[in-house]
Amino acid sequence: MNPQLIDPSWLQLAVAAGLVLIAIGVSAARGLGLERDLAVATVRTFVQLLALGYVLGFVFSSARPALIVGILLFMLTIAAWTVAGRQRRPTNRLRLLVLASLTSGCGLTLVLATEVILRIQPWYNPYYLIPLMGMVIGNSLNSATLAVERLDSDLRNTRDRVEALLALGATSRQAAAAPVHDAMKAAMIPIINSMMVVGLVSLPGMMTGQILGGSVPLVAIKYQVLIMYMIAFSTAVTAFVLTTLRARAYFTPAHQLRDEMLAG
Amino acid sequence: MPPTIRLEQICVTKRGRPVLTDVTLTFAPGGMYSILGSSGAGKTTLLRLLNRLEDPTSGALRLDDTPYPQVSPVVLRRRVAMVFQVPVVFTGSVQDNLLMPQRLQQPYDGDVATLRRRLELAGLDATFLDRDAARLSVGEKQRVCMARALMTEPEVLLLDEPTAALDPTAARRLIESVADLNRQVGLTVIMVSHQPGQARAVGGQVVLLVGGGVAERNSAAEFFSAPATENGRSYLNGTLRGDLP
Repeated sequence: MNPQLIDPSWLQLAVAAGLVLIAIGVSAARGLGLERDLAVATVRTFVQLLALGYVLGFVFSSARPALIVGILLFMLTIAAWTVAGRQRRPTNRLRLLVLASLTSGCGLTLVLATEVILRIQPWYNPYYLIPLMGMVIGNSLNSATLAVERLDSDLRNTRDRVEALLALGATSRQAAAAPVHDAMKAAMIPIINSMMVVGLVSLPGMMTGQILGGSVPLVAIKYQVLIMYMIAFSTAVTAFVLTTLRARAYFTPAHQLRDEMLAG
Repeated sequence: MPPTIRLEQICVTKRGRPVLTDVTLTFAPGGMYSILGSSGAGKTTLLRLLNRLEDPTSGALRLDDTPYPQVSPVVLRRRVAMVFQVPVVFTGSVQDNLLMPQRLQQPYDGDVATLRRRLELAGLDATFLDRDAARLSVGEKQRVCMARALMTEPEVLLLDEPTAALDPTAARRLIESVADLNRQVGLTVIMVSHQPGQARAVGGQVVLLVGGGVAERNSAAEFFSAPATENGRSYLNGTLRGDLP
């Protein structure tokens, strides 16, 4: 532990909330209309993280495998619903599809990182699984949102091109190749950018937290490297599964575009 | 010899609205067919069924005697090729565009002599091969689309108002190329048209669609001199449900 670690008091946090009050003042002065959102976000940040603190405290002390797996699935489900909710027409089918993609991408990443690379003991050790999964899901969620948005808009906007390819005897996979390709790229670019500048212009949150919490900087850095690689992998797998499944939903088995997917 | 295509009691309903109702038609090998009718009469839908970009709500299509669902859509679309109303060219040169069908179907085969022949059939000369497809005129793009469709060596060519975006001179020249493809190459050509003059120019058979049904089926010569139905007469004198033929 960092011997000089300051444990912020509730009063000190209240003072920090004063910073948001100033931000609200700026919003009001500039007529941005974000005052309400900022206030709600401030309260939500506090309540959600406080609740998390209690939940983690309970989970870490009980450490039952079923409970931990349940929490991981809960995190994935919330993430899937959030991604689907960002789209123009969120359907249950889309929610399930995103859930399947995130589960395969993040789940595979977590298993490889904790069981093959770190070899944590016991396998369900919540001190590792939950924070690592949180980092991976948070990033994969953004990538998945970008991937679906890009794929949907490309398939709608290039319908003529897709049908021209089908009419030349392309399979639906060939006809959707360009939109799928571009959607995967859109999903991957943010993590590549982050990896390019990490340590130069950005200090990642997890590393900052570990160093403040008293970890040896080199250990914190090794974990951060691991996290960045995990995110790159999970983003790629999630985007691959998601764009493949989502593109397939646009076509019938007879390689026809589904009108209902393109309408509205 | 090109296949015979049969439509048997075809109905298509889209979003609760009937688009085609009880259409029964036969397209014979090597025939030249013009599909006429007002906007919304179901002409484009009929063409899309033939290329199997859509399936009918009820009824059956047959390629020779084989029901459409039993033919691989990929194979069907190469035998029954379609050219759309608004030409879509892909990024790259005209040559890249013409090679697209081959690229979709391995192995890749880039015989330039074939490209030249296809291009000439569509009314463009070989100097176009290296031009950037995106920078051509609309009429030239439409010809590239026709040449590209011919690269799969189709037996039937479907054309959806191919001259809709063209000026009168370009339109007339394109229609001459279409007639040549039918007469000299022996392709079955099924062309949707808004302009009766084009149907008269290419001859062959005329199918008049009214409200999603076949109102008249006649030889072009008969149809334009003495239409057999009231709908045919109304269509020709421009009084068919507010339509301007």
